[in-house]
Amino acid sequence: MKTSLTAEWRHITSDKWLFSMVTWLPPLLFFLLYCVFAQGLPRDLAIGVVDLDHSSISRRLIRTYDASPSLAVTASYSSPAEGTAAMRDAKIYGLIIIPPNTEKDMTLGAGPAVEAYYNSQYLLIGKMVKSAIAAAHSTIAVQIDAVKNLTTGSIAMEKAVSEALPLSTQITSLYNIGKNYAQFLGSAVLPAMWQILIVMTTVYSLGKGLRKTKTKPASGLPATLSELANKLAPYTLIFWLQGILMLIGMFILAGWPMHGSLTILVCAQFLTVCACQIMAALIMYLIRDSARALSSAAAYAAPGLAFMGVTYPVTDMIYPARVWRSLLPMSHYIDIQISQANYGTSIANSLPQFTYLLLFMTPLLLLPILVKRVKRLQEISA
Amino acid sequence: MSTAELFLREIKAVFSNPALLLTVFGGVLLYSVLYPLPYVSQIPREQKVVAVNLDNSQFSRTIMRMIDATPQVSIVEQAHTIEEGKQILLNNKMAGMLVIPENFYHDLLLGKSPSLSFAGDASYFLVFSTVLEGMAGAGQTLAAKVKVQQMVMSGQALPQATMHYTPIKLRLHALFNEAEGYVNYVIPAIFILILHQTLFMGIGILCGTEIEELESSANSDKTPYWLSTSSLKLVLVRASIFVVIYSLLALYYFGTCLAMYDLPRLATLEDLSLFGLIFFFSVAFLGIAAGGFFQNRETATVIALLTSLVIVFTCGFIWPESAIPKPVVMITDFIPAVPGIKGFIQLNQMGAAIQQVRPLMAQIAVLGGLFFILAIFSMHRRKMRYSRQSTL
Repeated sequence: MKTSLTAEWRHITSDKWLFSMVTWLPPLLFFLLYCVFAQGLPRDLAIGVVDLDHSSISRRLIRTYDASPSLAVTASYSSPAEGTAAMRDAKIYGLIIIPPNTEKDMTLGAGPAVEAYYNSQYLLIGKMVKSAIAAAHSTIAVQIDAVKNLTTGSIAMEKAVSEALPLSTQITSLYNIGKNYAQFLGSAVLPAMWQILIVMTTVYSLGKGLRKTKTKPASGLPATLSELANKLAPYTLIFWLQGILMLIGMFILAGWPMHGSLTILVCAQFLTVCACQIMAALIMYLIRDSARALSSAAAYAAPGLAFMGVTYPVTDMIYPARVWRSLLPMSHYIDIQISQANYGTSIANSLPQFTYLLLFMTPLLLLPILVKRVKRLQEISA
Repeated sequence: MSTAELFLREIKAVFSNPALLLTVFGGVLLYSVLYPLPYVSQIPREQKVVAVNLDNSQFSRTIMRMIDATPQVSIVEQAHTIEEGKQILLNNKMAGMLVIPENFYHDLLLGKSPSLSFAGDASYFLVFSTVLEGMAGAGQTLAAKVKVQQMVMSGQALPQATMHYTPIKLRLHALFNEAEGYVNYVIPAIFILILHQTLFMGIGILCGTEIEELESSANSDKTPYWLSTSSLKLVLVRASIFVVIYSLLALYYFGTCLAMYDLPRLATLEDLSLFGLIFFFSVAFLGIAAGGFFQNRETATVIALLTSLVIVFTCGFIWPESAIPKPVVMITDFIPAVPGIKGFIQLNQMGAAIQQVRPLMAQIAVLGGLFFILAIFSMHRRKMRYSRQSTL
């Protein structure tokens, strides 16, 4: 074991890229992605206004929208056309148009309407803008109404508010307490990056042997299962360490919410690493060309995040998408991570996911055949 | 070597390289199907929620029916206590829980302004906001109804009451992606990223192959053609060939694929071609500049893959640029994909005029100029290095 470790280390240090991929590159990439989400929920998203009324009420409306922590009124346009042009230019994510005679119509009780547009091409940002505008608007509408009720009749404040708002909706987010989507998204993006790193590094390190002995087909690949295991084992430790580093970064250093047990996650990570390595080795042994295997591994691992079910619910994915998803070890890991981080459930709730991860060991049954084929190829060329 | 001969040699090198063909053509084709796969149903619908009705009045059952009737929400289970509701929510992985408090109808009649509560897992932002939309919509309709009723009871005429139930209405409109579909949101941007990354990989594989072949045939005294041409000519010819290939692939993506997924194609062909040409040349020069340093076919793929996620999250369509730390933005601004994705989306999905994306085009062009110089330098350096080696 020790000799194989030192041999592998020599192997690693002899290649600049391989060396980077097992040492400084993963932490750097994790950190870069962490930086994107570090600030938390975006604040002061730029919106523009077209004030065609120029009244005290229109100014009050604009002030209220601007006061919302998620929004910032950054520009004022003289016509709707100018405003939409700015939307197309992505200078602003939302546009509010206050039509002429708004104040007059309001006093007359004609029920004027403010038009608000939000950029739904940037869906996530658009939805944030949309809900911030709606929330700001309902505050002001209730205020105006309550004041009107107070001044027209001689009713008490409480009654005035309740007449303005006969029933309210109260929203509690159960798990992600601060509704901090940034942290949630971030805690899925990092594992997606990790999966890419594991798969790529495994294929790259196996392919390095092939490259060296290009003229003889497949002679660089380990030709017995134990050789392969010896080859992969040092990396298992390295990848596991990367995973633990990622956990420490997210849930301890950055303090992202964690309601469950890190121990369960660390165990799940070990299985995930093995599963990813086995899938990577499978790709390598099926293709037996380092560059083509690497491109195929890229196709396999790169869209991982899309299939995880974090950005888009798994229940709304069509069947082929769910099948592809189940072939990616990290989607099962992320289920376990979410159930630990958000819900703090017992390990029993995650048993199915652990089983799925164990199922990735089944390609091991296929590997002997593939390894044997490699051996035969080597003998022929010898 | 004449330029025409160089063109032929290069085309032959490209089309006889299996790893390159797999990456460029195989990759672009496969990704066009694989990436949209999770999103094809476009909008999450009928999210399952559990209802806890502690009021049990006729009115509260009406509320539940109204919420159930919205396209976003479907009430699949009922619980008698909040605790029970929570348990069902957790075990059956539901999107949320609706709670109608005790004495809801009673409080409403007394004018105490009771509240409908909704608890959901805000982690799944999209699901959460979908459920909220459904619930809030039903809640507002109901609130308006109650208010109109109250106004009528206090002596206002019905038509007037329906008009007055709120002092200022708010009409919200989704712009550019009216249906708020997920394919519309993700796929156009991802397509540009795929073109960018596979172009980079393709050129990198070609450059890497050359070195690998040179080294495996170190003893033969035949000098490969790329060692005997001028660096300037090689850079221009190689970039042109890849730009032509990628223009065709872009036609497939922006024509066939966008039409297939029924996505907007608002830009004119001229605008798209102009922007595309600048973009592809810029990426090709970047690829050659980097490729000059590659010793093997794999390096380009590794770089492309490791940078993909960073590009996706820093190009501004998922996460607003204002929320990303400035130093990160400054670094990623040097990757053509970042202004490229912004520009293509503005042009083709949001219908911006070509004048509006001029700053982005300028950024890509400046990057292209920089990479062009670097590419010549890089090819020249490689030529010096390996021709010295082969004469030894």
